[in-house]
Amino acid sequence: MNVIAQTTNQVVSSALEDAQQYLTFMLSGETYAISILRIKEIIQYGQLTEVPRMPDFIRGVINLRGAVVPVIDLSARFGKQATKVGRRNCIIIIEVVMGEETQNVGVMVDAVNAVLEISADEIEPSPTFGTNIRADFIAGMGKINGKFVIILNIQHVLSMDDMAELASVGTATAGELAQTG
Amino acid sequence: MADVNTKNQPNGRIVIDGELTIYTALELKDTLLAGLSATEELELDLSAVGEFDAAGLQLLVMIKQEALALGKRLRFTGHSPVVLDLLDLSGLAGFFGDPLLFVRKATDEGKAL
Amino acid sequence: MIPDEYLQSFVIECRELLEAMEEALLIVEQAAEDPEIINAIFRAAHTIKGSAGMFGLDPIVAFTHAAESVLDQVRSGDIAMTSALAALFIEAHDHLILLIGHVADGSEPSGETDTHGQALIKQLEAYLGGAAVAEPSADMPTIHQSTVEREESDAVGTDHWHISLRFGTEVFRNGMDPFSFVRCLSSLGTVVQLVTLIDAIPPAQEMDPESCYLGFEISFSSAADKVAIDAIFNFVRSDCLIRILPPRSKISEYQRLILDLPEEEMRLGEILVNCGTLTPEELDHILRLQAEHGDEPPRRIGEVLVEQQLVSPPVVEAALEKQKQVKENKKAEANLIRVDADKLDELINLVGELIIAGAGTNLIARRAHMADLTESTATLSRLVEEVRDSALALRMVQIGGTFNRFQRVVRDVSKELGKDVDLVISGGDTELDKTVVEKIGDPLTHLVRNSMDHGIESAELRLARGKPAKGTLKLNAYHDAGSIVIEVSDDGGGLNKEKILSKAIERGLISADVSLTDKEIYKLIFEAGFSTADTVSNLSGRGVGMDVVRRNIQALRGSIDLDSIEGQGSTIRIRLPLTLAIIEGFMVGVGNAAYVIPLDMVVECIELRAWASDEGDGQYLNLRGEVLPYRRLRDHFDSEGDMVQRENVVVVRYGEHKAGLVVDKLMGEFQTVIKPLGKLFKSEKSIGGFTILGSGEVALIVDVPGLMGQIEVEKGTVERAGTVAAR
Repeated sequence: MNVIAQTTNQVVSSALEDAQQYLTFMLSGETYAISILRIKEIIQYGQLTEVPRMPDFIRGVINLRGAVVPVIDLSARFGKQATKVGRRNCIIIIEVVMGEETQNVGVMVDAVNAVLEISADEIEPSPTFGTNIRADFIAGMGKINGKFVIILNIQHVLSMDDMAELASVGTATAGELAQTG
Repeated sequence: MADVNTKNQPNGRIVIDGELTIYTALELKDTLLAGLSATEELELDLSAVGEFDAAGLQLLVMIKQEALALGKRLRFTGHSPVVLDLLDLSGLAGFFGDPLLFVRKATDEGKAL
Repeated sequence: MIPDEYLQSFVIECRELLEAMEEALLIVEQAAEDPEIINAIFRAAHTIKGSAGMFGLDPIVAFTHAAESVLDQVRSGDIAMTSALAALFIEAHDHLILLIGHVADGSEPSGETDTHGQALIKQLEAYLGGAAVAEPSADMPTIHQSTVEREESDAVGTDHWHISLRFGTEVFRNGMDPFSFVRCLSSLGTVVQLVTLIDAIPPAQEMDPESCYLGFEISFSSAADKVAIDAIFNFVRSDCLIRILPPRSKISEYQRLILDLPEEEMRLGEILVNCGTLTPEELDHILRLQAEHGDEPPRRIGEVLVEQQLVSPPVVEAALEKQKQVKENKKAEANLIRVDADKLDELINLVGELIIAGAGTNLIARRAHMADLTESTATLSRLVEEVRDSALALRMVQIGGTFNRFQRVVRDVSKELGKDVDLVISGGDTELDKTVVEKIGDPLTHLVRNSMDHGIESAELRLARGKPAKGTLKLNAYHDAGSIVIEVSDDGGGLNKEKILSKAIERGLISADVSLTDKEIYKLIFEAGFSTADTVSNLSGRGVGMDVVRRNIQALRGSIDLDSIEGQGSTIRIRLPLTLAIIEGFMVGVGNAAYVIPLDMVVECIELRAWASDEGDGQYLNLRGEVLPYRRLRDHFDSEGDMVQRENVVVVRYGEHKAGLVVDKLMGEFQTVIKPLGKLFKSEKSIGGFTILGSGEVALIVDVPGLMGQIEVEKGTVERAGTVAAR
């Protein structure tokens, strides 16, 4: 009977490898893709409250059915211009894993395109140079209609530890760190 | 409930005269229930109760519980000595919750008080 | 397989039992043997063994079995409870905590732990005088084995007769009055206590006023014999239930009595306790026996568990519930149910949402100018607020549990320091929010240790000062104006003002020429940079990290202050809000954003133009002769949006600091449900949390102490000016 307690510790193994569906979206004219596994929903951009004394890439917070969810400006996170607010702006709500807990984070993008299937053999490993965002942000290069798009490792992009550290240095820009890849 | 007070009915009062015992229990039950249903706040004057027994006590418990169930106020006042005596003996004074003044006989307990 | 939740509740139960056990052991270690307390320890061990057996946790069963065997002999007086034995049991208790911890997180105890456990068992067995402890059977714990012996030894303590009477309905009609029997009894002895049972009286409509529905439970003191007492009831014997138990009857007979009588067991039990016939402990015992015997012959564990969970007779539940309570507050807990704390938090959260949604509906109704709708939403809001209040009340727990843990802390620290210190606890029933209770433990530990270390003098010094050699430490709690106040006081040496002052001047915390009140001097010890390790030994006061304590308390939106009389002792007073979930907020507009300032920090609001704002280089205002530093929130938060013509100043106070926050708009008071900041924003000190407005918008809650700290750093001058202003 001693085994009872141990079964509770079994962790559901990650099914990341099997993920074949990706959401593509636009950011400053470029197409990116992220796995749909941790995407909770996509909402229209609106009624955002800015949080003072935060770096540019933390756009603010929104009320998602009673929960306060931070919204990240991906473009600014990559060290580029802050995203301009337009008609097609969307917020992708993503579940970020922090150890045993998860937290919902919104990602602000210019526009959302489509959900596509990319088979594993059409994904190339991420290049060590040649892109202008941090290497650890990239999960791979996916081929869509003959063109390569960057598949983001969104859990790294939205790493709470990383972002919180940046937030604590105040308004230091993420750009300084962006080109290290 | 807020609307109770706004009904503004006159408060009822019933005086029980003489026996509150097994011999009067049947008719008093109806009197008490009728009195309670006619008003929001009923006062039962027990000062003229000359005889009081277990059946009478039971009746007071019944009407008190009914008042509680209906959310009405019920007060017993002017407890006569026989009433006080039995309430004290039964230990039910706390159940009724009316202010009482027991004048105890000189028992051990009484001296301590 | 045993469902996880059962295991979890097993863990919770065990921890509670162990806590009670520890408490009892600490008393035993101090004082002479009290059979009640030994019993309590035995019961705790016994129950843990029983439950562990149900889960097949053999190591725990084996370990508790050894402890239980020794305890049983202590109970019967074969072994004396020396303080050495008590200390051994405390070690055993600690080992059990460890074992339960392993159960809780599903890990296996290390080899070292096992060895330690074996060593402890050996030490325990040594007390049994070589008589080897019988190996506990693995499948079923030894619940039944000691029953026989209990029958012999467990008579109840009272020397009164106990008489139970349930009169038949015909008693009145047969011309008898139940009270006449009571009066008759008085001729044979004294009716010590009488409880009239009115439970059987039906509702008004069904009640026949000429039928008798009464019953009595009587505790009766008399030298008469049973025949004489019994004879009194000769006339009613035919239609009346009569049970007469002689003084010092066996527990098992009370058990039978409870089974015989028509009322529910728990209710009866309470009555018997109220009568003084049984002590709460005896009742506890009876109910447990009933639970054990009420069970069918051994069945597979899973079945038993499921059955108990789903269809258990009330007595089992009651008994199991009762079993858990070796503590004093037994009666109050009889009606408790156990709720997962997370569920409670979820409820509070939902109620928070409800308030927000209600405010939103209200807003829409008012905009629509529909009087009916407005009225009904107002009613709704009021009800929701009531729901919120009761929901918050659910989270309130007594601080006693936290206080009691300090018995152990004080014991251990006493040993460590070689000082003899008594802990006196009062106000343990004071309630406060669960989340606050959880966070207050560390600061309190710090304060208690500090008081014992630096406050209470050594025995020699105490005697020289004419005090008793044994020091006293007091923990007290009470409610005061919407806060809870927790006091830690000692009868030690108190603080030395001169030394504090010179140290503060030396450290540059104050300048040499200021004159401070006593309170202000004492407050200095909470300043960062005042107390460092090397000041401890120099100062007769207290030492390390009081600024950390203060910060922790402030993080709970509380405050701390200190009274001290030199040579007589010190009292540290912590003031905390009753709940962290909801605050009264004052909403202000700055640029496009709305901010909420906790109302209890707001002193007053004044229009900025009422002053000549250039006085003090745009840094200070002259507030009725006081110098008030101020800051435009618009600048501090770098807000966007148009400037307004008439700015307002919200004067806030925290501790002795006072400052003006310049805002664009005053938007009024507002009930604020606090949403935590989350990791991302934690580092921003000026923001304490989020809240959601009726419109659905998120607003920021200003953390006044944090904001003032920032302003202080940025201006470098607020501190001194604030102190001046406060005086």
